[in-house]
Amino acid sequence: MNSTHYDACPECDLLLRYARPKIGEKAHCPRCGFLLSRPHNQSIKRTFALSIAGLIMFFPANLLPMVGLKVLGNVNSGILMSGVIALFNEGMVAVAVVVFLASILFPLVHIGLSLLISGHLYFNRPNRYLISWMRWRHHLDEWVMLEVYLLSIIVACVKLMSLAPLSFGLGLYAFVALIIITTMLTAGVDNALFWQRIDQLNKGNNH
Amino acid sequence: MQGFIRCDDCACLVKIVDQLSTCPRCDSHLHARHPHSLQRTTAFLFGSIFLYIPANIFPIMIFSQFGSGEPNTIAGGIIELIDGGMLPIGLVVLVASILVPSCKLIGISLLLLRVHFRWQSNARRWTVLYRIIAFVGRWSMLDIFMLSILANLVDFGSIQIIAGPAATAFAAVVILTMFAAKNFDPRLLWDNQQNL
Repeated sequence: MNSTHYDACPECDLLLRYARPKIGEKAHCPRCGFLLSRPHNQSIKRTFALSIAGLIMFFPANLLPMVGLKVLGNVNSGILMSGVIALFNEGMVAVAVVVFLASILFPLVHIGLSLLISGHLYFNRPNRYLISWMRWRHHLDEWVMLEVYLLSIIVACVKLMSLAPLSFGLGLYAFVALIIITTMLTAGVDNALFWQRIDQLNKGNNH
Repeated sequence: MQGFIRCDDCACLVKIVDQLSTCPRCDSHLHARHPHSLQRTTAFLFGSIFLYIPANIFPIMIFSQFGSGEPNTIAGGIIELIDGGMLPIGLVVLVASILVPSCKLIGISLLLLRVHFRWQSNARRWTVLYRIIAFVGRWSMLDIFMLSILANLVDFGSIQIIAGPAATAFAAVVILTMFAAKNFDPRLLWDNQQNL
């Protein structure tokens, strides 16, 4: 038995014969129903393009004002970072750190790692750090919470609507675009293919 | 099992050989099951149950107007939304900040009990429960993010929204339950299936 011909379901550990579904098809575990793989067309190229787009979009989404509140002629507008600073100034340091990590730092690192990994694979450059980048990215996945943040912007706006008129800035549109890009980015990564290519690259380098 | 270990990080299947403790491909530690899965999950679970109490009884935000503060608990904020005629948004917040955390605490306890007492029941259904718990956890951060937006926008000197002491506790509950779900190994649900 060669281990490369077999695969195990990560959620129920059923030993499976390795089969790669065609593009556009999905493979589910027959016992527990786990989505084993769902290859996308040109996963590496796609990830490379999307992570460049994400990195570009990250800056307007973080620097331009998102939502503003008008009270007595004053406009208070907020960006991601100013919310963190407001919490920090109120002494809620732990909460401020959590918000900073989940809405600013982790998304940036996640896009950055995707760019590094897919860039190396796209240009066929071996790099010994590829493996640790892949592992970091894998562990960060769940802590990128941009879409949760968007929902909380919506709820906050509804709460504030009765208080004062709101104004929406370009930053909000950039933020929505960033969420669409990162969602497509995470959905499009084909881990099996990525690992296989990294294996090939690093082996080729050693000879 | 069956003589193989699946690497948790890079998904490659490794044949069990003596003294092999790291994955040949990605160098991460190999475990047939997450190490001390039940103990760690239980520890995170108890931590979050303990913090869940202050998170709900203390005010999460204080709406202060000309010096007089009006404290709002999580439940209070939802009631206010629904009273103000914003039922759908009130329900979203109700689901994200009350139903999800409490159902998660109960769900993780049930998963632990099932593995510990080896209840014989449909493992597939339990796996679905695990998947729901793992997926839904992050959405509870809604309240925390909303707090950061409100604290920033509503700050006009005399009128401001200040984060209350429950915010830290609630953020800790969300993160601890996420860790609890991450440390729980769903494969344990299938291990003690005798038949099927």
